[in-house]
Amino acid sequence: MSDSTEPSHLDRATPAPAGARVATRRSVLLLDRAMSLIIRLGGIGIIVAVLGIFVFILWQILPLFRGAAVELASSGRAPPGARLMLVDEWSERPGFLGADGTLTFIDLVGDAPAESIDLAGRVGAQITAAHLRPTTGTIALGLEDGSFALADVNYRAEFDDGRRRVVPEVNVGAPIDLGGGRGRVLDVDYGDSGRDKVAAAIVEVEGKLEVRAVVLTQRRTLVGAGRIEVRGAFDATPLVGGTPKAVLASSKGDSFLVVTDEGEIDYFFAVDSGFELRQRFSPFEDQPDPRISMAEFIFGDVSLALVGVDGTNRVFSLFVPEGQSVRTWGRTKQFPPLPGPVSAYTKSTRTKAFLVVAGSLASLRFSTTESIRWQEELPFAPRLVAISGKNDRILFVDESSRLHVYALSDPHPEASWRAFFGRIWYEGADRPGFEWQSTGGTDDFEPKLSMVPLLIGTLKGTFYALLFAVPIAVSAAMYASQFAHWKVRAFVKPLMEVMASLPSVVLGFLAALWLAPIIETRVPSVLLMLLLIPSAGVVLGLLWSAAPVAVRNRAGLFGELTVLLCGLLVAGALGWIGGPLLERLVFTVPDPAEPGRRIADFRLWWPAFTGADFQQRNSLVVGFMMGFAVIPIIFTIAEDALSNVPQSLRSGSLALGASRWQTAVRIVLPTASAGIFSALMIGLGRAVGETMIVLMATGNTPIMDFNIFSGMRTLSANIAVELPEAPHHGTLYRALFLGAMLLFLMTFAVNTVAEVLRQHLRERFRTI
Amino acid sequence: MPSRELDRGAVTGAPHAAGTVAVRPDADPAPSSILAERASRFVSADDRSDSVIAAILANRPTATVVHAEVAEDVPHIVKIRGFSLHYGEKQALHDVSLDVPVGKVVALIGPSGCGKSTLIRCVNRLNDLIDSVRTSGVLTIGETSVLGPETDVIGLRKRVGMVFQKSNPFPKSIFENVVYGLRIAGEGRRSVLREVCERSLREAALWDEVKDRLDESALQLSGGQQQRLCIARAVATRPEVLLMDEPCSALDPVATAKVEELIGQLRGVYTVMIVTHNMQQAARVSDYTAFMYLGRLVEYGPTEAIFQNPRCRDTRDYVTGRFG
Repeated sequence: MSDSTEPSHLDRATPAPAGARVATRRSVLLLDRAMSLIIRLGGIGIIVAVLGIFVFILWQILPLFRGAAVELASSGRAPPGARLMLVDEWSERPGFLGADGTLTFIDLVGDAPAESIDLAGRVGAQITAAHLRPTTGTIALGLEDGSFALADVNYRAEFDDGRRRVVPEVNVGAPIDLGGGRGRVLDVDYGDSGRDKVAAAIVEVEGKLEVRAVVLTQRRTLVGAGRIEVRGAFDATPLVGGTPKAVLASSKGDSFLVVTDEGEIDYFFAVDSGFELRQRFSPFEDQPDPRISMAEFIFGDVSLALVGVDGTNRVFSLFVPEGQSVRTWGRTKQFPPLPGPVSAYTKSTRTKAFLVVAGSLASLRFSTTESIRWQEELPFAPRLVAISGKNDRILFVDESSRLHVYALSDPHPEASWRAFFGRIWYEGADRPGFEWQSTGGTDDFEPKLSMVPLLIGTLKGTFYALLFAVPIAVSAAMYASQFAHWKVRAFVKPLMEVMASLPSVVLGFLAALWLAPIIETRVPSVLLMLLLIPSAGVVLGLLWSAAPVAVRNRAGLFGELTVLLCGLLVAGALGWIGGPLLERLVFTVPDPAEPGRRIADFRLWWPAFTGADFQQRNSLVVGFMMGFAVIPIIFTIAEDALSNVPQSLRSGSLALGASRWQTAVRIVLPTASAGIFSALMIGLGRAVGETMIVLMATGNTPIMDFNIFSGMRTLSANIAVELPEAPHHGTLYRALFLGAMLLFLMTFAVNTVAEVLRQHLRERFRTI
Repeated sequence: MPSRELDRGAVTGAPHAAGTVAVRPDADPAPSSILAERASRFVSADDRSDSVIAAILANRPTATVVHAEVAEDVPHIVKIRGFSLHYGEKQALHDVSLDVPVGKVVALIGPSGCGKSTLIRCVNRLNDLIDSVRTSGVLTIGETSVLGPETDVIGLRKRVGMVFQKSNPFPKSIFENVVYGLRIAGEGRRSVLREVCERSLREAALWDEVKDRLDESALQLSGGQQQRLCIARAVATRPEVLLMDEPCSALDPVATAKVEELIGQLRGVYTVMIVTHNMQQAARVSDYTAFMYLGRLVEYGPTEAIFQNPRCRDTRDYVTGRFG
């Protein structure tokens, strides 16, 4: 026998000593220790990395929810008796207009001597009123003779030896007559939009107060701006309802407001022949004392900050009320009251913030979010206040003409819980709402940072994708695992996995450039197919079950599949062909060009019938394409879960005379429910986070509806779209991180709920 | 010796060389080396001319010894004639003919892989679940043909209950488990379901143990209780034939005793075909015993005769524990 020649694996002749035989080799022990260390490090590393991302995102968004930080930086001395203060961008050379008409600039950082300019001397008359527009640095000067003049203060930065020197320059224009009788100007304001300019003033003529307005033009020539000329003067006195107290001219150059002692505001708007009284309103009419202590524009001049004599603080904005056609003022914001009338006011020249002082209480408020950014009882009673152009200094002048400079740090005034998640009454809107519009075309644009439309958009996209994907994926998984011939299964599963590996940018590209234009014109076909294909499946099933047993058994599973596929193809083709027919029958709108004729076009019918939008890149397209991306994921996991149901349970059910369908629905599906549930949740997670498809296949409009024929903007697409617009550490940058955090939390919440439910289900359907 | 070597080559080589999958009595499921090893053991001990192995090696059809008592005990509810089965290329059952008398308990015994389970899984066509199974021959229950394309498999399975080797209660309540067969048949009346549930559980001798917790999950029962629950589930639809595929192999002796006692009570009410590895069990519970070996039915007769006085050498060797 050949056995004897083979060496025995047990060599009994020389047994090794026991210690050496049982000892584990050093290299084995070393490798074991090293590998367990590496694996442990890897595991901990992953947890640390995920936590690190979380902490980093949190770190980026936390500053959004901080208030303003204000602290005393320095103090100095202001010229005595100043009636008006202005400050440059760098808060180095504040200027003060004294009662005698001299404008004095002091130097806060260097040691340049105070520089005085005699404005009264330049205009040749005594200055009786002055109004500063901090945005442009223009001071409107009211003169004793019933005219006004404009003083433009420009700060120029000069550099020598690498050091900055701020040099104020003042241009004083010639006095312009306001028309009418001569007298002291008590208040004046000037608004300039570049094209339209308007000045309004209160003039005391022989003991009576008159309100006058002039419309100005400035001829522009090749060599620069020309002289400002009066185009027309307007006497508003007869129209004003009470005793005028103050005037405000809009920087749009088309209107002015007259505030009266009685607590009313008259809104005059420019028309061809002059001005019309468009609106008269009393902002504090519901208060015991309706008188107005302060009325000033907020940056942008479409909102008015108003304080009553009792300290009530409101903001009114210009908007078109529902059912009307012109913009009028209406109350949009209500702030916490101040302790009394306002003694000083200023506004930011960059944001919608304004600062009001009542007694010694200074309060920095932000109009958009209706929030108090900072409020403090100061150790002095400020008389004048100014915010620097860079929004980083607040200057106060107290009763004894001391100048107090405070450092202001408020990088994200637009941000707040309310701004992100609450309704906000934005300027120009007729009601509070949720809006996302982070950037605008003008400097005085109000950023709208509500996350709600983005959340709604995310949910909308996810909803439509899952609506399409879940029935298909779960039925396909059930078919592949319970019904299909093993040869079909062996072919379908890898195919589905290939489908999962398609890059989403390709799907998005296909959706946007190929699918969307097809669906746009073929909506009735798509609807018909959605109706016909499932019903064809049901009808074929009924017919099949009615067929003789012999036929069914002979056909086998392949025969069944062939019949079904042919049936579905025929149903699909019928739907495609029948769509235009259906459109002609049902989806018609009257032809506006030819009365009596109707146009068959679903795109026109949908808005006419439902009042909702129809867009080419809509949720239907996203639903199809994102569904396409989600189907393989749900299919693969659900198929595994269904296949893992013990064969003994299936056999048990079948042996009792249950059909395949009864077994699948009553036994397999409930037993695999935990796995199917996690498949759905993972699909949901994928749909929530999906970016490229929604980015390319929707219009990215942050709207708030569930209309299937309109687009959406999802959180993830929003990050992709806005990233190039977001300066590092700016409010938008951090708001985008907040969107990322929301995505993170949403996925986290979905996964947690899914896991808890899955454990629960698994416990319930645990099989031995 | 050389002639035997040649024979072995013929046995293993024939099906592959011919490339055919037709029913061949000489195609064998067991690897040739094992067969030769077994054959050499028998042949060297004694003359085994009537053994199955010898017949296979001699390329001779095997004969089934059927005792007259079985043939006389009419009517027969299950009739199997010339039944063969292939798993793909491999033949698992060779020309099996077996009749089961109404109301009797028939035990199928034999070593592992002899085709007992395969045979009873053909009675309710559960082998359909396995791809690539092909059968030939005749198998009828009452007047109905079980094989053949005209058979309504679902209807057939309603007439044939089955209890599996491993208890397989559904992840549902005890009540829902028992009435599952009625539910899928469309029975929705609560009173009927309650009545059937109680009757079936009483038949399965489980009623007293679970009557207070019918709504609890069936998975909370012990192994033996679960198996009796499966029996209750199988008898709830009043099947004509009850198939049991090693129902006690996963149970402890106490539970086994209970199930055996239960089978004794079911005798006469249901026709039972039971596959078992345990010869004592077969001796205890059955009226008739069929011994199967290498995919062939070797001997079929009254249990007492099979165990006390078997006519075939293979049967005697098996029941006396010389192999298996």
